Amino acid sequence: MILKKDISKRMMIFLGILLIALVILPHVSTLSTTTLFSRIFIMAIYAMSYDILRGYMGFINLGHALFFGSGAYIVGILFNNIGNTVPMFLVAIVITLIYSSIAALIMGKIVFRSKGGGAASVVAGAMTTLALGEIVRHTAERWRDVTMGADGLSFRIPPVFADRTMFYYYALIFLIVMTLILRQFINSPTGRVLMSIRENEQRAEFLGFDTEKYKLIGLQVSGIASGFSGVMFGVMNRFVNTELLTVQQTLNALLITLVGGTGTLYGAIIGSGFVNIVQSQLLNFRRVHPIFERWLLFFGAMYVIVVIFMPKGFMGLYYSITDKRKSKLQNQTIKETSGKTS
Amino acid sequence: MSSLLKVNNLESYIGLFTILHDVNIDINKGEAVALLGRNGAGKTTFLKTLMNLVATRSGTIELNGESIVNVPTHKIAKMGIGYVPEDYGVFDALTVEENLRVAMWKDDKETLERLDYVLDLFPDLKIAYKRMAKTLSGGQRQMLSISRALVNKNQILLIDEPSKGLAPVVIEKLAHALKEISKNTTVLLVEQNFAMACAVADKFFIISEGRTVERGDIKSLMADKKLQHKHLGVI
Repeated sequence: MILKKDISKRMMIFLGILLIALVILPHVSTLSTTTLFSRIFIMAIYAMSYDILRGYMGFINLGHALFFGSGAYIVGILFNNIGNTVPMFLVAIVITLIYSSIAALIMGKIVFRSKGGGAASVVAGAMTTLALGEIVRHTAERWRDVTMGADGLSFRIPPVFADRTMFYYYALIFLIVMTLILRQFINSPTGRVLMSIRENEQRAEFLGFDTEKYKLIGLQVSGIASGFSGVMFGVMNRFVNTELLTVQQTLNALLITLVGGTGTLYGAIIGSGFVNIVQSQLLNFRRVHPIFERWLLFFGAMYVIVVIFMPKGFMGLYYSITDKRKSKLQNQTIKETSGKTS
Repeated sequence: MSSLLKVNNLESYIGLFTILHDVNIDINKGEAVALLGRNGAGKTTFLKTLMNLVATRSGTIELNGESIVNVPTHKIAKMGIGYVPEDYGVFDALTVEENLRVAMWKDDKETLERLDYVLDLFPDLKIAYKRMAKTLSGGQRQMLSISRALVNKNQILLIDEPSKGLAPVVIEKLAHALKEISKNTTVLLVEQNFAMACAVADKFFIISEGRTVERGDIKSLMADKKLQHKHLGVI
């Protein structure tokens, strides 16, 4: 469940090749593929933000979409009402940061009141976050003057973001920067305390940690990352509606992390790639056979298969294979050493 | 000498049940004290009450003259009480290194020196440094739990039944390490294993049915077979 900190030389080469491939991709693929990958990058950050809560803190947040949707709304409202310029985009980022911090603080103060981490408190916490998410969604739906209600809000974006290929590169940079920041956070002393809280909150307390404070920090970091991904998602789609604030949007993040591997951070990137590509392919198959009009059935089946055969997701499978290989090598070395000495 | 930890007329409860009725203990700085008693006497509950993991109904608990009754657990820990629970309390999904690092409040030279000290004290942990805690043996888990409480500058260590479920050879190793620790830190050791308590402590308290019933020098207890039989069931 922990983040592997030491990246092997082989992995570095793989990541280098992958990066080169991703840089070349827009020049050798169709526009729809480029857009699909932009979506993958943004959703990966959204799922990573969820993984910090679910995988590293053991906290189920059913209202997580409120950060994502609000980020998209903030940028949309600013572009629509004040101006679609790059400085306004930066203002949207700052407002999202402040909004997400405050929203996470309020959510955390309500949810983290009950301590213990038992099943009842986890369920109560999840239900409370669901209710808070619904309050935000309902407010957005009713506040028609600003949000256009259930119809959604269309807006123009700054010309610099208008080119799909350029936006692909912005999304890629966004993914790399946010991954490094979140990785740093997880590997920091605060990240270690969050992992210890996930393991056993009472133990973390008698080690001298104010667990509520740490959980609030975790929720704020997660909320901010989710809000930022919402801003990028809004800019990519040039449209935002209340769908982005629903529990379904939260479940998307949960499912991506499940497929990729919970508590691995990088699993969110793989999960986002897998889920979005499968979804896109199933939608394309509608042209092949009418049965694919019911593509959600196949999509659901895919989740069931993944959960049955890879309960720890892709990254979990990868780690178990590499761990097995490592222990096999260790045992071999021990045998060889004892053979030489005897 | 002024008391480091002073407990007067302590009464604590879990739900509807009063577990401790009248506990009176005082420990001076530098002492190694054994808290003895039969199973269910209230020894573990007493340690948990000190850490505010069990609620206090009445009485006083003072650390260096400052009351710690109803103080949040994390603040009690920060005041300098290191707690080693009965079930080891290690984080299974973290490595030995991460278990130790997560417990460190600071990353300064002094803390790192203490980390070196505990790794010298328990060489087994040095060997298993990168291994996941869940793969450790019972003795190694106990060593890790004690080490975690030692990496910070604590005023007193509360150690709950460290010998429980361990092989005699491991108990001997642990007793030796605890004796070493007690040279630099005040120790309150809850123990069922009388031989281990005698090897570590200079002073004892006996709890029976939630009350302190006996106290004194450990040597006098070692000589008093009748008292041992009465309260500890030692034949």
